[in-house]
Amino acid sequence: MAAGPPPTAAQAYRPNRYVSLPAELDPDTYDTSPEKRRAEAERLAIRARLKRQYQLQLNNPKPPPVIEDPALLRWTYARTHNIYPTFRPTPKTSFLGAVYALGPLIFWAALFKIDRDRREKHIQEGKYVRPFSVF
Amino acid sequence: SEMSKDLLPGPYPRTPEERAAAAKKYNMRVEDYEPYPDDGFGYGDYPKLPNKSLHERDPWYQWDQPDLRHNWGQPMHWDFDMYVRNRVDTSPTPVPWHTMRNHFLAFLGTMLIMFVLGEFYPSYRPVGPKQYPFNDLYLERGGDPNKEPPVVTHYEI
Repeated sequence: MAAGPPPTAAQAYRPNRYVSLPAELDPDTYDTSPEKRRAEAERLAIRARLKRQYQLQLNNPKPPPVIEDPALLRWTYARTHNIYPTFRPTPKTSFLGAVYALGPLIFWAALFKIDRDRREKHIQEGKYVRPFSVF
Repeated sequence: SEMSKDLLPGPYPRTPEERAAAAKKYNMRVEDYEPYPDDGFGYGDYPKLPNKSLHERDPWYQWDQPDLRHNWGQPMHWDFDMYVRNRVDTSPTPVPWHTMRNHFLAFLGTMLIMFVLGEFYPSYRPVGPKQYPFNDLYLERGGDPNKEPPVVTHYEI
């Protein structure tokens, strides 16, 4: 079987959850197609509109006491109030809920029980050495 | 807060109109807007932004909030508080991550194996019992000063 073409620098880098691809290796940086330009122009338009709204509020002669950031409010709402309405019990969520909520309880309960039973057995047999600790 | 219900996050968008409305709500392009998959985890219609930390954002651009490298109204990542500049950093490394991980695990594994081997097969210079002077400390150990101490020699010629 032939080896195939050598891996590109971007493939050799193997970006993952912990590091992202450097811009120099990303073929997207060297993409100068009109579609990309139009997308960048639209994003710039949105950004400029938001900047204008913010600057108008900031440089207002009678500015509001607090300039609220709707993005921040949406972020906090999504992470606190929007979880319960959008949650749905599925096989995956039920399994994960059991693992994370019941798993540690059952694990530690079993561990302590086994340890206490073993210690009790040793004490009954007279083999238990009581640990001495000043602290 | 005082924002109306259509400006706050809502349920997962099902129709293209809902997607367009959600993209407009979050100040994003419709093509850029991608909600989290509808797995019932509680994300709703919140956009799934690339998992890049704030270290990667341009330090020289005039952000509205320079410490958070965030503009007013810009959609925040779900894990924004994790990707803050004091915490997780996903900026590209000079050496690929898998190379660093392999080197680190090789070093750590070698050191651990050697230490475990040293527990089972310890190695040190030869030692003998400690030798005390003055006839094995005869007087210090409470021997009678009037009697002759037993002669103790630790050498052989």
